[in-house]
Amino acid sequence: MTAVAPARSAAASAAPPQDAGIWTQLRVLTGRSLRALVLDPRLVVASMLGPLLMLGMFSQLFGSVARAPGFPSGVRYVDFLVPAIMVTSALQAALNTAVGLTQEMRSGIIARFRSMPIWPGSVLLARSAADTVRCALQQLLLLVLAAALLGFRPAGGPLGALGAAALALAVGCCLGWIFIAIACWIRNAELVQSVAGLATFPLVFASNAFVPASALPGWLRAVAAANPATYGIRAARSVALGEPALADAVAALSVSAAVGAAAAALAVRGFRRGG
Amino acid sequence: MTAVPGPAEYAIEAAGVSKWFGPVQALDGVTVAAPPGSVLGLLGHNGAGKTTLVNVLAALCRPTAGTARVAGYDVVRQSREVRRRIALTGQFAAVDEQISGRDNLVLVARLRGTGRRDALRRAAELLEMFDLTGAADRPVRGYSGGMRRRLDLAASLTGRPEVLFLDEPTTGLDPAARLAAWTVVERLVRDGTTVVLTTQYLDEADRLADTITVLAGGRVVASGAPADLKARVGGRTATARLAGPDAVRAAARALRTEGLGPEYDPRRDVIAVPLTGPRDLAVVARTLDAEVMGDYELAVTAPTLDDVYLSLTGPARPDAAARGAS
Repeated sequence: MTAVAPARSAAASAAPPQDAGIWTQLRVLTGRSLRALVLDPRLVVASMLGPLLMLGMFSQLFGSVARAPGFPSGVRYVDFLVPAIMVTSALQAALNTAVGLTQEMRSGIIARFRSMPIWPGSVLLARSAADTVRCALQQLLLLVLAAALLGFRPAGGPLGALGAAALALAVGCCLGWIFIAIACWIRNAELVQSVAGLATFPLVFASNAFVPASALPGWLRAVAAANPATYGIRAARSVALGEPALADAVAALSVSAAVGAAAAALAVRGFRRGG
Repeated sequence: MTAVPGPAEYAIEAAGVSKWFGPVQALDGVTVAAPPGSVLGLLGHNGAGKTTLVNVLAALCRPTAGTARVAGYDVVRQSREVRRRIALTGQFAAVDEQISGRDNLVLVARLRGTGRRDALRRAAELLEMFDLTGAADRPVRGYSGGMRRRLDLAASLTGRPEVLFLDEPTTGLDPAARLAAWTVVERLVRDGTTVVLTTQYLDEADRLADTITVLAGGRVVASGAPADLKARVGGRTATARLAGPDAVRAAARALRTEGLGPEYDPRRDVIAVPLTGPRDLAVVARTLDAEVMGDYELAVTAPTLDDVYLSLTGPARPDAAARGAS
């Protein structure tokens, strides 16, 4: 023992084990993901194409819905639709987060993080935070383009529109943990893409996104009522349309936060699980 | 220092470690130990359980049975303490493709609790050490395979780990890069780091490891110093390519009278002679010169991992199996 002891203590004293605090971990990891974003802004633009296409198509396709019974009177369809697209595009961004996460798990950098003395949740939280920043940029871009190209002029004015975007961001960020949890348990990019894609479908369509919930057939209305996205869309819409929105916003944020917290707990468990 | 456990006798200590993945058993009662400042080589083919053992020791997955201590801490109950003292370089370069090599090193150093300025200094030091200074500020996605592996190894060293796990560190490296990696490992060990190295190459284990543990099918089939293992495998083999089957038969006869044990396949022109004594090679050459008509090519081959496997696990013996069944 005495023969090896000096060498060992030399190595140990060179690096007194001292961990980075959670805040440092979050800051460093979020910065890393954001740096990739700055280096490749095409990512923001490319992920905007889907929501823009949806917005353009649906505003033309379903414009006549505005004359259907049950549609709020005096509201143009585009003003009805844009807040919903804000929420669905935030969900779409969260889905991309999850797919990106699985790709990273394959590349090995995540394995390195897991072998380090850091809280596993901070890897996931940082990822979510960076993508929330990305999503915020998208929301602004969406607002500007919708106003410039499609004549989006909600009754709530610019403040209402920004408020709707902020709500969409918060709801998307919370519900996005569903996808992150899926990614942590499945760990296969293609599979995550299809499973999370399947999960997106009812979240987006079995909701009040494209027609008012009251105009849905009975069973679908029941599904929509249980859909956390419905609450987010209703709140974003009320804010954008300048209607009293406090109750809706509180409902949307608390439902999303509850679902998000449960999904986040599952995600961390899945992430921690040894391969 | 008021570290809770006293100085551990072993930096690596695993006892009866088993690991099941569903119905598949990846490890079966593995016991290994390595003192601080030594190199433990884990030798085995793909699927032998090397990576699983490394993952258990690096606290990445829990053993189904058995216990393991690394740097004096239990990998299950004190995994955080273990993670503070280890670094892992896996089979796939664990680096961020999007950012530069320097940013990768700073990232890992910062996550290990190093301040920004010290992290930058350490990154520059490591880039220099691994000959990456020229490419330091380019995104990693443009790096060659060898540069990536070097960066990966550098990232593992940011925190000056007590125990370093290298899972097939030189697979896919060109000979020069391989040699450079070996030099780095030797320097680390000199400075007191304990290294666990998995490899499929006997020469790599031979050069670096103080103790070699041979794994097959998740079990330890042999363990010992490189010299001991090689002694068990037997020595080198002289192989001669002769002019034709007649020459092979003639050579075999002549070599047998010299007391050697030639082996040959009558359908091929090659004869193999296990070399056991120091003068055997000279005897082979002399005999072939004297007794064999025509030209021949003589080569000496060192034992390979396959030879280690065959001699340690025993060749498949269908007759023995049949006898056992009757």
